[in-house]
Amino acid sequence: MIDLNERFSEKRNFFNRLIFVYIFFGVLFLYLIYKTFSLQISSYSDYELASLENKTREFLVQPRRGIIYDRNGEIIVNNKPSYSMILDPENVDDINELIFEINKFVNLSDAEIKNINNIFPNKKKLNREVVLKRNLTTEEIAKFEVRNYRFPDIQIAERYSRENLYPYLFSHSIGYVGNLDEEKLQEILSSQNLESNETIFTYSNGFLNGKTGIEYIYDEKLRGLFGKKIYEVDASGRLLQEKQMTPAVAGEDIFTSLDLPSQKVAYDELNNRRGAVVAVDINDGSIVTYVSSPSFSVNKIANGLTQNEFDELINDDDKPFFDRAAQGRYSPASTIKPAIGLFGIYKDILDWEYTIQDPGFFILPEDGRIYRGWKKGGHGEINLKDAIIESSNTFFFSLAYQTEIEELRAHLSNFGFGKNVCDDCFMPDNGLLPSPRWKMNTHNFGWFKGDTVNVGVGQGYINATPIQLAYYSAFLATKGNINKFSFVQDSKNANKNIFNLKNITNIDWDNIHESMIGVIESPKGTAGRLRSLKDYVIAAKSGTVELVSTETKEDYQIIRETEGKRDHAIIIAFAPMPNPKYAISVVIENGESGGSVAGPVAVAVLNSLVKND
Amino acid sequence: MINFKNFIKDKIYIDLYLFFSITLLSIMGLVFLYSASQGNIETIIKQSFFVIFGLFLMLIVSQPDPDFYKNNSAIFLIFSLVLVLVTLFFGKEVNGARRWLDLGFFTLQTSEIIKVALPVFLAAYLYDKSLPINLLNTFTTLFLILLIVNLVRIQPDLGTSLVILIAGLYILFLAGLSWRFIGISSGIFILSLPFIWNNFLEPFQRQRILTLLDPNADPFGSGWNITQSKIAIGSGGLQGKGYQMGSQAHLDFLPETETDFIFSVIAEEFGFIGVCILLSIFLFILLRCLYLAFDARDRFCRLTIGGLSLLFLSTVFINLSMVVGIIPVVGMPLPFISKGGSSLLSFYIAFGIIISMATHKKLMQK
Repeated sequence: MIDLNERFSEKRNFFNRLIFVYIFFGVLFLYLIYKTFSLQISSYSDYELASLENKTREFLVQPRRGIIYDRNGEIIVNNKPSYSMILDPENVDDINELIFEINKFVNLSDAEIKNINNIFPNKKKLNREVVLKRNLTTEEIAKFEVRNYRFPDIQIAERYSRENLYPYLFSHSIGYVGNLDEEKLQEILSSQNLESNETIFTYSNGFLNGKTGIEYIYDEKLRGLFGKKIYEVDASGRLLQEKQMTPAVAGEDIFTSLDLPSQKVAYDELNNRRGAVVAVDINDGSIVTYVSSPSFSVNKIANGLTQNEFDELINDDDKPFFDRAAQGRYSPASTIKPAIGLFGIYKDILDWEYTIQDPGFFILPEDGRIYRGWKKGGHGEINLKDAIIESSNTFFFSLAYQTEIEELRAHLSNFGFGKNVCDDCFMPDNGLLPSPRWKMNTHNFGWFKGDTVNVGVGQGYINATPIQLAYYSAFLATKGNINKFSFVQDSKNANKNIFNLKNITNIDWDNIHESMIGVIESPKGTAGRLRSLKDYVIAAKSGTVELVSTETKEDYQIIRETEGKRDHAIIIAFAPMPNPKYAISVVIENGESGGSVAGPVAVAVLNSLVKND
Repeated sequence: MINFKNFIKDKIYIDLYLFFSITLLSIMGLVFLYSASQGNIETIIKQSFFVIFGLFLMLIVSQPDPDFYKNNSAIFLIFSLVLVLVTLFFGKEVNGARRWLDLGFFTLQTSEIIKVALPVFLAAYLYDKSLPINLLNTFTTLFLILLIVNLVRIQPDLGTSLVILIAGLYILFLAGLSWRFIGISSGIFILSLPFIWNNFLEPFQRQRILTLLDPNADPFGSGWNITQSKIAIGSGGLQGKGYQMGSQAHLDFLPETETDFIFSVIAEEFGFIGVCILLSIFLFILLRCLYLAFDARDRFCRLTIGGLSLLFLSTVFINLSMVVGIIPVVGMPLPFISKGGSSLLSFYIAFGIIISMATHKKLMQK
């Protein structure tokens, strides 16, 4: 049927076509091998990495936060262990049955049960622990322990919470921790070259960072370094086994100069009145006492307040959150007089022999306006020393009248007015040291001579924070040889600001000290009441901050019906004389009398400090 | 011993090259499958049974004279067509696809049978037609091919229907389809591609093709399989991670490790070296088939050997191209390696027929 020729050509045709197909596929096969080669050899490292990333999951391990000590080595802030009931979900099928069993002896609230039901399916799928209940009581732990043989998948695990052992004493100095926001977390992690990941928490309330005070300022030291744990996982994300672990590095402990006994005394003495106490060791400017009153519990803030508790705090008229010590602005009032006196000596306006007649008021020559002293009839003929002891306003009105405001301003700035005096305080206010330019900018008014006269008695525009007043006090105590203040002493910052004015001699300084001793010890002194409260010598200067200017005592009696309009009581002091070690400032809002209201608080705190040395 | 060897040579029709290389491939397949199935003994026992049974079946199928297949090809085709139709109505539905006939002891994927029966029938139909094949025969053949391809496609089983289409077209091409017809029909095909895209492809099939173009666009959706497969292959490197050490396969990142993606497991655990060894065995089998086709006794044998070996080649090629990401995921096993009895048996039968065609010589030629 088919002849040989035709058969031969058919065969050749077939072979050609078959080889054509084979060559076609041969080329495709070469491409396939090239493709495999490029995957396995050329891009090997990329795919090896991808495979590694696929099968491992990294967990961050939260570091333990540093402990905060006072200057005597007493722990102030610690990490308190709390206990949580933790379930390994892998072998649990019916969570509701388990909850029912547990509920027989450890009460789970409806909210807790709802939460467990919500998270359980996913946690089981991924083989992650389920927290059944936090903050177990010892009774609950005991109840569980006797039954634990029935619950092989449940264990009691230790978690920490940040605890201030004296939650009200250090609210404003040490401050509190709170939850870390996402942005800050990213910043912390990227500083450690880590990525945001699931975290194995050491603290029962998650990520922490300092929000205020020392907890905030020293957050980086206290925080420590995150560790990491690497687990092998399968495609569904289930944890299989731990592969590698870099332990977290605990934060550094912080040793502050705060002194627990004096802190307690200051807190008790203030007794929830609005006010502040700041005391320092004048040798290095270390802050030993720092209380703003009224206070609040930092532990409640750090571990969760109810909305009601929070509203109560935020709406409290006494503003417990407000740090009066670093942010409260008060007129220095009469406490400024030693500094003004020193300015008179420095400018050769007066010497220690110089006297004036004090009729009880000063008349400004420019406009005849009358500036009154506190004592009706005045102090008679008076020199600088007595003017400080008796707190003659007229003397300082007339002295200030003879000064140039810009020069006076520069002088007062040395004493700490109008500037930051603390290295590690949380958001300190700089107070106000007014200048003509400031007045023009703020009040759109030129500077009057009367404004300068007011500065002479620490009234008017000038104001300062308690910590600035403490600095001023320390400045006087050390004769102008003082460190910037700090809670934590760091050797690299320990350089003294030495104040040196040619015209002010050691004798002048001694006279100032003597005058300030006289404030308490002299029969005429404004704070004589304090004499019996201590058995060593204190130099002090009291002040009474007029909030409303009144002509007569009768007028003031009307004003003081409203508590918020009463004068602030204020005092600065240093002791023990003649070789002072501590300087202090006390402000009590609407306390009326610097000498007899703020004074006893200052003496009590100094007693505690001096006696415990 | 010599007597025994001669006895085998005289009484049993066998091509030792193909027999040994296929046996080797089957054993390697079992070894790979053990790892790919994560040490599932049941799977291995089942697969071993199919391998032993399949090798025996291959030996039996190679005994009859090629004329037996030539004369009965229509019966085989009709029989397998009936099976496909029965499957379409009474088949077992798995994941929305009706591809399997439950025979009690074994679920048969009927498209695997017709995949072999069609090329044999077409070879028998076309071997005595004069060259070039006229239009009538061409269209008759094409109609038959497309009918069967569509019956399989609606199961739906795109992979197998594609292989059937390709195998049918090979026979037509090898039998001497005119170049003019090829040129014109290719042109029409290309022009009708958009129509096919819109009317013949299921949405998920379209998605697979799109995914291929840019697997990173949707790495956790349909791109997941390709991405994970590439990671598995790529991370194998030159030497591989070691037997049963493939993390991609053993931690479930890789899908379908026992079937479609078994090559990725091999590449991950044995590296480029392992891949080259495996591919050279496939290559050896294909080159042996090419030689046997040249050496075959008549046109029917040549066409059958050519068609069936190209069927095998295409299956291997589609599977490999799929797992390295050259073509979309279509669901195609790697012959003799992947799990699955029907596919395994169909290739043993196909090679049995090839051996029969190659070993039976006409007396006049001897």
